Amino acid sequence: MNRVRMLSLMPVWGSSAGRSSLLARAASKQNLLQLQRRSGLQNSWSVPVRCFQASTTFSSSKIARSVQGDKDRGKSAANRSLTVVEELFEREAKTKATFQQAVDVFCKREIRRRGHVEFIYAALKKMVEFGVEKDINIYNKILDIFPKEVFVPRNFIQRMYNHYPRQQECAVQVLEQMETYGVMPNKETKFLLLQIFGAKSHPMRKYQRIMYWFPKFKHINPYPVPDPLPADAVDLARLSLQRIAADLDARITTYQLPHVEILDSGKVVDYPHIIGIQSPDQRSLLACHNPERPVFVEGPFPLWLKKTCVYYYVLRAELLPLEERKEEVIDPERNFYYPMQLDIDLERDEWEDEEFDIDEVEEGPVFAMCMAGAGDQATLAKWIVGLQETNPVLSQMPVVFRLTPGPRELKSGTDLEENSEEETARSQSVNREA
Amino acid sequence: MALSLKVLNKCHWQNGLYPLFRALVDNCSQIQYSSYKRPGTPSDRIPPWAKINFSFQKGIEGIKTHFGRLIKEVGDHLRGPEERSLEEYMLEKTRVAWQFRSEEDLKKWVISCDAEIGGKSEVYLKLSKNNQSALLYGTLNTQVPRDGETRYSGYCSMRSKPRRISFDRKWPYNWSKFNCLHLRIRGDGRPWMINIYTDPYYSHQKDDLYNYFMFTRGGPYWEEIKIPFSKFFFSSRGRIQDQQHALWVDKISTLGFTLGDKVDGPFQLEIDFIGLARDRAHIEECAYEIYEKNPK
Repeated sequence: MNRVRMLSLMPVWGSSAGRSSLLARAASKQNLLQLQRRSGLQNSWSVPVRCFQASTTFSSSKIARSVQGDKDRGKSAANRSLTVVEELFEREAKTKATFQQAVDVFCKREIRRRGHVEFIYAALKKMVEFGVEKDINIYNKILDIFPKEVFVPRNFIQRMYNHYPRQQECAVQVLEQMETYGVMPNKETKFLLLQIFGAKSHPMRKYQRIMYWFPKFKHINPYPVPDPLPADAVDLARLSLQRIAADLDARITTYQLPHVEILDSGKVVDYPHIIGIQSPDQRSLLACHNPERPVFVEGPFPLWLKKTCVYYYVLRAELLPLEERKEEVIDPERNFYYPMQLDIDLERDEWEDEEFDIDEVEEGPVFAMCMAGAGDQATLAKWIVGLQETNPVLSQMPVVFRLTPGPRELKSGTDLEENSEEETARSQSVNREA
Repeated sequence: MALSLKVLNKCHWQNGLYPLFRALVDNCSQIQYSSYKRPGTPSDRIPPWAKINFSFQKGIEGIKTHFGRLIKEVGDHLRGPEERSLEEYMLEKTRVAWQFRSEEDLKKWVISCDAEIGGKSEVYLKLSKNNQSALLYGTLNTQVPRDGETRYSGYCSMRSKPRRISFDRKWPYNWSKFNCLHLRIRGDGRPWMINIYTDPYYSHQKDDLYNYFMFTRGGPYWEEIKIPFSKFFFSSRGRIQDQQHALWVDKISTLGFTLGDKVDGPFQLEIDFIGLARDRAHIEECAYEIYEKNPK
């Protein structure tokens, strides 16, 4: 019985081999339109769409030999189809539309979806290149390549063993790539997987795991970053300054908006943006600062917002030596309505001691922070001049620029020498201006 | 005598008599935790006995240090549980597990990055400029090594060394009095993962880890982060597991930080201290469903 069915299928194999060589020839011309037309022609051939299912219990040597021959032929066809697959993605314009088109071409050409595992692996690799790695519809389209209902186990033995392992692995790989890029599967993905592999398959399990863990960890970041980030540098600077200030009272000041000025001599002067932030607490700290002690402009320090790195500068002072530190005494008559200082003995025992037995790291106070389009001293001096309007004490203090060679300076490379000095000269010019 | 026996009882006797003559043999304390072998490297053909570097002098030194440690442990044990007096131990609400104030503290940690698997990341650990905190810095590079097998790359990590007492016996930490991890750190906005490794009993548990995420704000200010132990999820070989359970707080071996956010570029993390706290308002045991998978 088996043998009869087998023999009746033989001519079909012969024709399919011929077809694959035809394909290779067509692909070598790299004319996709022509290819599509030909594949359309092939579809009109009345080829019975039936998978070849050969049992391993064949006893006849002749049939075994023919199966062997088919395997070899299949291998060479797969090799050839792999080159075709790679060629499908060799396009000039790498966009979502062309990616979809390549997938469509493959689906139309291969009515039996032969070589779909290789094609899917190739497609997964090319996704980043086409910029579609975060598109759920594209992933669904890729899963749609799998032939439906063929890989669903039909009896308990198939269900017990790993049914069509290569196809299942491939689908798990698609889901894993979705996981890597943080793409949440949707209902369509679920129906596709159900249709292709059945309810208890490995890809379905992977889908269930993603659906369990992704929503759990979706909102655990206490400092969320908007996605996508604002494209404008000024908006980005505002956002990141608000994030690092960690104070809702802090106020953002725009000292300079980016603009280009063309002088009469034809010289173009570029003004970078300068955005600063200062909270009322920082302002009062700066007001208390001893004017004889210098304040420092330090930076640039990196701040990462997902994939982008921005740089900020801080205005700070050194930690006071121990002998100069004094406790601030609040005058009891400063406020008549409620006490400014409470000294209540709550009779806390050692049981209630929730403090850590450690000396915390002490650092000098931070007075203000800023972000600028350029990290040179002249730009930052403008920030200091702007700060002097709200903090008049600053004009009496010496300001020292302690700029380390940041990535921007490395790019230009010209003023590297000047900036690499640990402490540049005191910017008395700033004070003179003010 | 009974006391010293009790001290010895703390050791796990799976190793048999091995700890007794381990002191005589050099190079044996470095136990290979990972069975990772880079693809393409030839298999190790050196027989295990050829690696033993027997040195009588080092053996004598080892015996000296180990018996010194044993005497100290007996003394500590007489003082009270976990080197503290009983009163101090019972009243304890918080504990500083690790702090970074000197080079000695840095020696308790191991750093590693994907350079071990052929990647291009770099990681360094040093004391920050006022010698008051640890600075972990470097660059992350997600370029995959071209060995044909590795598919992902790009991680940098720092891990504490497991605690060992005399004769190189393992002695995992017991944190069952606490329910929160309390960290004082300053990062640069990158997310980190905290990994807790519990001392495995069976060898198939050696790749199990408990993980949770630590998000940093960035900026010039220090921040305090509190992570309840109940939030830690169970993973094995880097894959999150379906069957979750609460962290084994009484068998903590190591704690580590890993950065692997797939973003190329420099990073830095300053750590002031790592502490343990008991938050009495927090009663959750495990934040994830632990019901039976296929109920009867």
